[in-house]
Amino acid sequence: MAGDAIRLETEFGAHSLEALIWVAETVDASVYAPGSLVRTASGFRFSLANPPLRIGAFSGLRLGVDGTWVPPDSVRVRLGPQGSWRDSVRLSPSNPLELQAGSWTEFEADCPLPAGPGPVTIRLELSNVAIPPLVWMEIHDTMREVAPP
Amino acid sequence: MTPALPSALNRPPDPVLLTSLASAAMGDGRGDLCYERESRGAPSEWGGVYGQLIRLTGPWTVVLTSAGATTDLPSCRVRSGPFPGGWGSEHRWKGLEVLQDLVAIPRPAGVVRRLRVRSESTSPVPLTFTSHFSPFLFPVLVEGIRPVEFVVQSLPEGVAIGNHGFGLRAAATVSPARLLLNGEVWEGGQYKGPVSEVALEHEVAVPARGSGEIRWQISGGLTRDLDKALGDSGPTIASPDELAARQAADDLQWTRGTPELEFPDAPELEVAYRTARAGLRRLYSEPADGMVGLVAGYPWYSAIWCRDLAIMLPALLWLGDFEWVARSLATVFRFQSRHSVRLLAGEPGELPMQLVPGPIFLYGTSDSTLRFPRVVEQMHRHTGDVSSVVEWAEALHRIVEWGRGRSDPTTGLLRHGGEAEAISQATASLARVRYGIDSPDTTIWDSADRRDHALDVQVLWWQALCSTARLLGHAADHDRRMTCEGQAAHLAETLGERYRWPEQRYLYDSLRGAIPVARVRPNALRAVSAGLLDPATARAVVERAAEGDLSTPWGVRSLSGNDPGYDARAYHEGQVWTIATAWAADAAFAVGQPERGLAYLRTIAARYVADGGLANECYLGDRPEPFNSCYLLGFSVAPFLRLLFERLWGIRVDGVETSVRVLPAFPLAWTSAKLTGLRLAQGRLNLEWTPGHLRVQWEGSCGLSVDTGNAVHPIAPGETAVLDLPSPPERS
Repeated sequence: MAGDAIRLETEFGAHSLEALIWVAETVDASVYAPGSLVRTASGFRFSLANPPLRIGAFSGLRLGVDGTWVPPDSVRVRLGPQGSWRDSVRLSPSNPLELQAGSWTEFEADCPLPAGPGPVTIRLELSNVAIPPLVWMEIHDTMREVAPP
Repeated sequence: MTPALPSALNRPPDPVLLTSLASAAMGDGRGDLCYERESRGAPSEWGGVYGQLIRLTGPWTVVLTSAGATTDLPSCRVRSGPFPGGWGSEHRWKGLEVLQDLVAIPRPAGVVRRLRVRSESTSPVPLTFTSHFSPFLFPVLVEGIRPVEFVVQSLPEGVAIGNHGFGLRAAATVSPARLLLNGEVWEGGQYKGPVSEVALEHEVAVPARGSGEIRWQISGGLTRDLDKALGDSGPTIASPDELAARQAADDLQWTRGTPELEFPDAPELEVAYRTARAGLRRLYSEPADGMVGLVAGYPWYSAIWCRDLAIMLPALLWLGDFEWVARSLATVFRFQSRHSVRLLAGEPGELPMQLVPGPIFLYGTSDSTLRFPRVVEQMHRHTGDVSSVVEWAEALHRIVEWGRGRSDPTTGLLRHGGEAEAISQATASLARVRYGIDSPDTTIWDSADRRDHALDVQVLWWQALCSTARLLGHAADHDRRMTCEGQAAHLAETLGERYRWPEQRYLYDSLRGAIPVARVRPNALRAVSAGLLDPATARAVVERAAEGDLSTPWGVRSLSGNDPGYDARAYHEGQVWTIATAWAADAAFAVGQPERGLAYLRTIAARYVADGGLANECYLGDRPEPFNSCYLLGFSVAPFLRLLFERLWGIRVDGVETSVRVLPAFPLAWTSAKLTGLRLAQGRLNLEWTPGHLRVQWEGSCGLSVDTGNAVHPIAPGETAVLDLPSPPERS
């Protein structure tokens, strides 16, 4: 990658590398809400500050942890911290999850997780009603423990 | 029928789109810059200001307050509409007359908005104008991301807001009396953090029986360019009247440089020509120094997408804007990769998929690069300028080398697929959060998996080889020319052998390995238009495409309605696309069926009317409703324009040889047609057609050879001649 960066700068100027970094850093900071991956009593939850790559109506979603899919009936999503939780299995083309730029979404899963401090990889897949191939994102982060109420 | 989505907007209001060469503004025509539109299946808000292809703001609203009462502009709107170079609205509230003007400005890139208030009151009226907007500050091409953190700096005339290297300046002619951030009063200074909304309150006292005025300017894009532009322009916010007049004069001058078409037997085509021409003009873009092109569309494809640009540039050649074509090509080829850059999925010789000031660019499509040799060759034919042909031939040779690296030496077929995956793999180790679209392929239908050898990609590869060969010929590079010609001939042979689908009397959509992919798509029509098929097969393909599973009364589907994978609202698996309708028209003319070709052109013309003078990207597969569709797309206007010249008029120019071939394909029932001011390399050409005759008027610097299919006629500069045309069966 360092070689790529040098070639980019040599061929197209320093601005091209600088602009690439602006975009990468903004995307990195604007979708997954840093530190939002939290262990809960029944599993985990996390938040997104923007949709991952694509806006629109999503008729389905699934979540995986370290390569294992969470049962669909154990996954919930809501729009904003005040929104109502919706079971992922109830999403459909006629009852989609609607996301636009800046939409805050929270995901929660009931799923026993291995104890321990190491990082986990969460994979989220979303299916759009208008553009078939799914959109995915992977978060590699360490779960925070929820403070007792 | 596809059920409507619960919150999909069935019939959105016609958008207001204001553009300059480096900015845009979008509204819904009710008075503010708000515009909600179904996008990817759900409502999304696109209103606001755009500069340098960066979305500067979300919706921008203005609220008026007086004596404890408040109104927004839509609530008191009396009338509204465009005026030359801008858009205006009139409002009445509490005895006040409020006139609004909005104009897009190129430098600094943004919008000027003016409110003038007239009062008949016998006492002064204190008014507060509150301007609300949310900052965005991110390239439009990165769909759906609104940054979460900004830096806001108060200024005497307003605020400056930044996110990394992107910035905006919101200024007013009346200094704000109060600033609000996220709904709270802000004392000013510098703030860093989340910003959902910025509001500026301005107090204006309207004198008794007098008037008051306030102007705002929101501009931005790259902070470095914004600072320079504001330094050059100074603190004054110019009059919208002057700015609009300048914009209108530029547009008028451009239009006057383009040809006029008259079709007395098809006035709807004349109207459609003017609509498409005006639509294309709206897409002109020079977002930064040295970056020239056309944006792909509005609202969400407002970046320079090179696939779309390659499809649009031939139309510009017919419209006579050679300079914009040359500058656009220079822009794109400046980003031709010379090395492998995995981070951006670029390989040597490849051209970018998209461009935005920064510069921000990305490679990784299978077809964008392949489209350019033909455009470059056509530019040389139209301009007749071969002074740089050696350099251009070298650039095209690099494309051919890139294509050869992806080709099967046995069949000559170009292999595509895996481009998006390559980007994902290249960036896998760089971030703790990764994103991707599970898209294994990147043809023009890039959400469909058409690996490994989609037919239309092979046609583009064949055309790239042929065009490069011609240019290499002009450059006297005969060894490379012959290699390209040999490879093109080999590929044509393979195409003739491996894609025939006898059961459907059609062509397979692709080959997966050596296995045919039996799906009926309009892409097969590209082989007809390219002349790669024998006449009987070509006619059969056109007939098959005209059947109801592919052709509908509102256009041609991206996939047959009989296909098991058909979905009426899937972008590339069933929706109707105007570009596919244009392909069908092109192929029908190519096989000598002008009535059928004209019917497809009329379908497109009817869409422009239904779209209120705009040109949607696509429609549902089962009814003529835009869905997941940009309301103005270059794809939907440029091919239509090109076909009027190349197919209906049947013109092929060769400025290098100072010749033009004219083989009109007007329907037998037509009585006349006229074309005025067609720009050729050495002058301008006027044509008048009546059955059997062509009146040619040539205003050029040297003689012109006119080939009418049965004879070649020399025409002297300034001469007018009436030439006999062969009867339709004799056309060759």
